[in-house]
Amino acid sequence: MSARWGMVIDLDRCTGCQACVVACQAENNIPINTEDIFHQRRAIEWIRVERYWEGEYPNVKARYIPIPCMHCAQAPCESVCPVYATYQTNQGINMQIYNRCIGTRYCAVNCPWHVRFFNYWEPKWPESLKHQLNPHVSVRSRGVMEKCTFCVQRIVRTEQQAQVDGREVQDGEFTTACAQACPTDAIVFGDLDDPESRVGQMAADTDRGYQLLSGLGTDPAVLYLKKIDPDAPEENGHY
Amino acid sequence: MRRRDFLKLLTVSTTGAVLFTGCKLGGYPDREFQKQSPVEHPADIPFGRDNWYATAMPAIGGGLGVIVRVFEGRAKKIEGNPDFPLNVGKTGPRAQAIVQELYHPDRIDGPMRRNGNSFESISWSDATAEVAQLVSNASSPVLVTEPISGAIARVAGEFAEQAGARHAVYEPDEYVVLRAAMQRVFGTDRFPALDLPNSGAIVSFGADFLHNWISPVMFSVGYGEFRQGGNGTRGSYYHVGPRLSDSAASADRWYPCSPGSEGHIALAVAYTLVEEGMASEERASEVYGGLSLGDYSPEDVAADTGLSAEQIREIARELGRNAPSVAIAGGSAAAHTNGLFNLCAVFALNYLTESVNTEGGILTNTGSPDPDVIPNKIGGNSFAEWDELIEEMLAGDVDLLMVHKANPVFGMPAASRFQDALDQVSTVVSFSSFMDETTRHADLILPDNTTLEQWGLDVPDPSPGFQLVSIQQPVVEPFVSSRNFGDSLIRISNDAGLSFTWSSMENAVRELGGALGGVGRGLPEEASDPREFFVAMQTQGGWWDEESMTSDAPSGPEDMPSPAEPQFTGDESEYDFYLLPFPTNSYEYGETANLPWLQGLPDPITTAVWTTWVELNPNTADDMGVQLGDIVRIESPNGSIEVPVYVNPAAPPTVAAVPIGQGHTEYTHYAEDRGANPIEIVASQTDSETGALAWAATRVRIEPLNRRERFPRFERQLPFQLEENPIVQVTRDA
Repeated sequence: MSARWGMVIDLDRCTGCQACVVACQAENNIPINTEDIFHQRRAIEWIRVERYWEGEYPNVKARYIPIPCMHCAQAPCESVCPVYATYQTNQGINMQIYNRCIGTRYCAVNCPWHVRFFNYWEPKWPESLKHQLNPHVSVRSRGVMEKCTFCVQRIVRTEQQAQVDGREVQDGEFTTACAQACPTDAIVFGDLDDPESRVGQMAADTDRGYQLLSGLGTDPAVLYLKKIDPDAPEENGHY
Repeated sequence: MRRRDFLKLLTVSTTGAVLFTGCKLGGYPDREFQKQSPVEHPADIPFGRDNWYATAMPAIGGGLGVIVRVFEGRAKKIEGNPDFPLNVGKTGPRAQAIVQELYHPDRIDGPMRRNGNSFESISWSDATAEVAQLVSNASSPVLVTEPISGAIARVAGEFAEQAGARHAVYEPDEYVVLRAAMQRVFGTDRFPALDLPNSGAIVSFGADFLHNWISPVMFSVGYGEFRQGGNGTRGSYYHVGPRLSDSAASADRWYPCSPGSEGHIALAVAYTLVEEGMASEERASEVYGGLSLGDYSPEDVAADTGLSAEQIREIARELGRNAPSVAIAGGSAAAHTNGLFNLCAVFALNYLTESVNTEGGILTNTGSPDPDVIPNKIGGNSFAEWDELIEEMLAGDVDLLMVHKANPVFGMPAASRFQDALDQVSTVVSFSSFMDETTRHADLILPDNTTLEQWGLDVPDPSPGFQLVSIQQPVVEPFVSSRNFGDSLIRISNDAGLSFTWSSMENAVRELGGALGGVGRGLPEEASDPREFFVAMQTQGGWWDEESMTSDAPSGPEDMPSPAEPQFTGDESEYDFYLLPFPTNSYEYGETANLPWLQGLPDPITTAVWTTWVELNPNTADDMGVQLGDIVRIESPNGSIEVPVYVNPAAPPTVAAVPIGQGHTEYTHYAEDRGANPIEIVASQTDSETGALAWAATRVRIEPLNRRERFPRFERQLPFQLEENPIVQVTRDA
């Protein structure tokens, strides 16, 4: 089907609970981030929640922002891959072909959002925990890059089912694991090209929308809605 | 051939040339890539089909309804049950991680008997027969459980009656105080619901309601609508407390207060509501039991509370002008010697703003549709009551202690002497699925099934303001040789030669759940065939009646506690910091610290993982000459712990906040010997009215140890953060 999958993330709803982070780990077979992995600075989180400080005690604020892959229309990670392991689907998803990747990590270097992760080690799970692994998502081996896929396995399955039923995929028929878990509905997923879709309408109706690092001109498929703060500067501010 | 070997071969053989000749340079060979994509490649298509089962998680977030994806007999993924009114399809991090409990490598895989310092496997028939013998011979048995309701409450109740056992319930003490406050202010000991989507404002006095306070997923669902919902008005959120908690970070304004001063601030807010004409003086006098609010003007209380008079007035205006609004209190506000006063003074504000059992206000819960058949949640015993039991245990007056899903050895301070008391009990039987600190003292272990393998019928607390019963059904077969706690109790009873009302937990759940079909209201609708009704109930995840919401507000609080100042153990001249333990987003009071996803989940404020820390104000840290990762000794009159420093820009200068949940000596290899447990060093002070442990009423001193550890955290994981560029953009325009 024709679509440009994308997300709207409302920072005024986000509470930093990190349900999205665990949901993504569960859905996408992300290895356990052990303490050693954090010390090596090699933790893998396809979606992460960053926290920014502003001000000094007692006038101090902490701000949360979930950051998945931006799935840029003009993705800087794609053009540098020497083996075409990273590419863009005709639905706007920035994909990684694991069995093509040779681990140059050029894409990670070229990604301004740092949402590409390299498998420095073979992923390990205790035998019993392997029973939880999602059979519809490949376990990535040592030496390849991995990243958010907008839960492409859910997209594919929904499209296949719609094809069998002889109909179009409906808006809201499926969503990504992070959006499904998000208790405040801060993350909404859908087809940005469909003006009737929920994300399409949110993008069109809001005057709080902005893209992360929009000045780079990569046209991200993730639109953020600004946090509302009564103490914000008169002009729109930022942290 | 390994992938790397193949790549090596590729570079030296013509195979590579052949393969790459197929690729069109200068354009993306989209079709080829799509075929190569692992999710579309035929070789990667798994055979089998998904089944989704509705079940419930009584121990997570107050009791969530979930659906579980089961593929080829294995549970794969947990999602919120979209039909279930409490969390309407949503979950939180702890619920998502529960599948790791099921397949945990360190689960106790069958019944065991102590043999010296280790355990040996025994058969289930031997295990239940031995416990039956112990029960028959015991003169003063005690059954310890977590707060339970519904079917397991009936089964445990019948078992305790047959065995002549006392039933003690272990629950975090802040909830003991909260139940008492609910009883006095609203006339019910059940937790409240909040109609946030229709509310104009919320002021939280210490309750981390979006992350770990009673029902965070339900409140988060409401919070999203509260902020950006369909009614077009953005609700305002103020937070008052001695720590910028995970929830406080989402507030429009956070006002740090002196620990234990929440009640006095609430009285000053009440004073302002009257003074500025937002509430009548007569009503205020009624609500506060005749207390003269004139003594509690903002100017009078400001100096002792850490807030300015203007800030207190601002809070009052937010509540009064945006009514219906919600005032809540919890967390450390409940964990002081004046905890009950703090909570009652805050919750009573809802009467002044006419926000009790109204749209947009605080909602009292009506509980079970028939408490005699399906009991409401049995709340926890206070620390003072536990102290009495501990004295009996120390005196050798308890000869059998059976414990399920409660870990008092970890949860109680060392000063309680619970561990010593446990050693004086002749026989300890544990029904835990994991080797925790209390189970380590057991003589017999009869491991319980985990959440996704259970039958159960639960009355969530809080419910969403109307009657709700969730049903728990096994979505997979038990992964190890474990047995439902209720089934073990029934089998023990049978082995002791006693007849039990039900033959199994499944039988109990079917009978008690089926009885809801005769209520004649709610969903699923009554069916002519009881089996049809039960299947409908299983499919939708429970029974509920949205029409059962009450709109009648109680007339007002009764027996309001008198204003009281907080008392602290530890002289201020010697112990210059307030110790502020706090439950965390990942493992609350330590219950889920055994799950690796949650150990590796960054704390929202500090981004710390896999550890404990103490939060210090930057200036305080400078004065002490410490920085991130420096190890300090935190010493109270009752002991000391050693933890690394996290320099927190939001930490009040005299507060040392330390997360609860780590410091396990047992509880799987993921949690063992990791971090420290601040509860160990708190004094045995209690709330003066309820006898609950005042775990925030201890002063400490901090001594740098001149050594440092690498501090595991998510922050700075990336080569450079995005801080140089505008990331979180803010606006005033709602």
